[in-house]
Amino acid sequence: MKIEKVVVIGAGTMGSGIAQWFAQELCSVELVDNSSEQLERAKKSIFDSWNKLVLKEKLTSIQAEKMKKLIEFKSLDTVTKNADLVIEAIIENLEIKKDLFQKLDGYFSEHTILSSNTSSFPIHLMAEAVTLARRKNFVGLHFFNPATIMKLVEVIKGKESSEEICEELYQWFDSKGKKPAMCKDSPGFIVNRVARNFYGEPLRIVDEENEEKMKEVDRILKEVGGFKMGPFELMDLIGIDVNYSVTCSVWEAYEKEPRFAPHRLQKKMVDEKRFGRKSKRGYYKYD
Amino acid sequence: MTNVSFGKYLLNFGFGTKEEKKDVLRKNSDRKIVMDLTCYDPAEFYNEFPQLVGTFAALFADESKKTEIHFRERSEEVVSKLKELGFQPVETTVVSCGFIFPRTIVQIINEACFALEEEVASASDIDRAMKFGVNYPKGPFEWLSGRKEYVRVLLAELLLKTGDQRYRASNLLK
Repeated sequence: MKIEKVVVIGAGTMGSGIAQWFAQELCSVELVDNSSEQLERAKKSIFDSWNKLVLKEKLTSIQAEKMKKLIEFKSLDTVTKNADLVIEAIIENLEIKKDLFQKLDGYFSEHTILSSNTSSFPIHLMAEAVTLARRKNFVGLHFFNPATIMKLVEVIKGKESSEEICEELYQWFDSKGKKPAMCKDSPGFIVNRVARNFYGEPLRIVDEENEEKMKEVDRILKEVGGFKMGPFELMDLIGIDVNYSVTCSVWEAYEKEPRFAPHRLQKKMVDEKRFGRKSKRGYYKYD
Repeated sequence: MTNVSFGKYLLNFGFGTKEEKKDVLRKNSDRKIVMDLTCYDPAEFYNEFPQLVGTFAALFADESKKTEIHFRERSEEVVSKLKELGFQPVETTVVSCGFIFPRTIVQIINEACFALEEEVASASDIDRAMKFGVNYPKGPFEWLSGRKEYVRVLLAELLLKTGDQRYRASNLLK
């Protein structure tokens, strides 16, 4: 498989990270957003990141300049129609994504693979927005933040995705130093499903608002378990509201299976607007 | 199970059924006992056996042998003995069925088994996803290796203690 021209749609944190990674792999990248201000911010962030790598001598200035030339910041109607791969990384709203994919299907050439970086919607629901002919070229590609550092890409096979294309994408990412994981189109895919209990079980061990006990659980899971962060400090970093919303969405998708049930403390924190670091108060205080 | 005696203490290591563990305690009522209770609830044992002065969870320890330990009656001698035997005891004040690390990890393993059972992904891709997507030190199936019985018994114990169906084990663990 040859992936030389990539279009990334959505210049938020994930989209710009994904675009940056592809440019670092010397693909020609077009990063697209409706907002020119957002594109400017993404450009500044990506270029600043490369400049820092040059200062740290992790990149040469020649390499950084080459990458800068490989990435363009555009609106959708000006991008190349014959891209090899398009990655959607816009807001997590199914209807907006479906509208976008309908447009993309009509815009890009027949060989273009359309993909979504969604973490919450089934790929087959988004594939409904494209023509039958396109559906074999429609997959999920779920990157992890920060996309330039985290090696995992979940390659998600939708109901009608071509096995061959998924396998080739898996091999391509593998050849570029990513660690792809092939998975079925099911709620939470792999990580957002299996990781739920890293939060859910410690919440049940603690079972009450007790900062000392939470600290203890965080310490043991780091010291004995080897995790880089404890569950409570990690939820505070991610945002308790964000984590709670993912928990609820996986729980609902599995028809309220008890294994995914949110804990009452999560709801309490959200109701009290204690979202973690960003609100200076979560499971811990950040004054 | 293995017993190590020193001074007034008896250290009990390894896996056993709940009854086997209780038998050790019944037969050694004159000793101070520190016991591996990875798969059970230390509180239940503390209530029943006053000679039980500490509990630990070594069945999920990795090559570093870092082991969660809880003392009802702290003993420097026990800590030194465990170190002498190659363990790295990490003390905790939290008493929970399955301790902290084993209880958390068996639930992660159980979910990975459900995902495998449903053919969401291969075991190696699930391990890879957890290690490279969220920086887990090991994949769930790497943790499971050689510990299927412990996982199954701890899940059964949690189900028994709480009555919560979230602890129902995947068929792959049965």
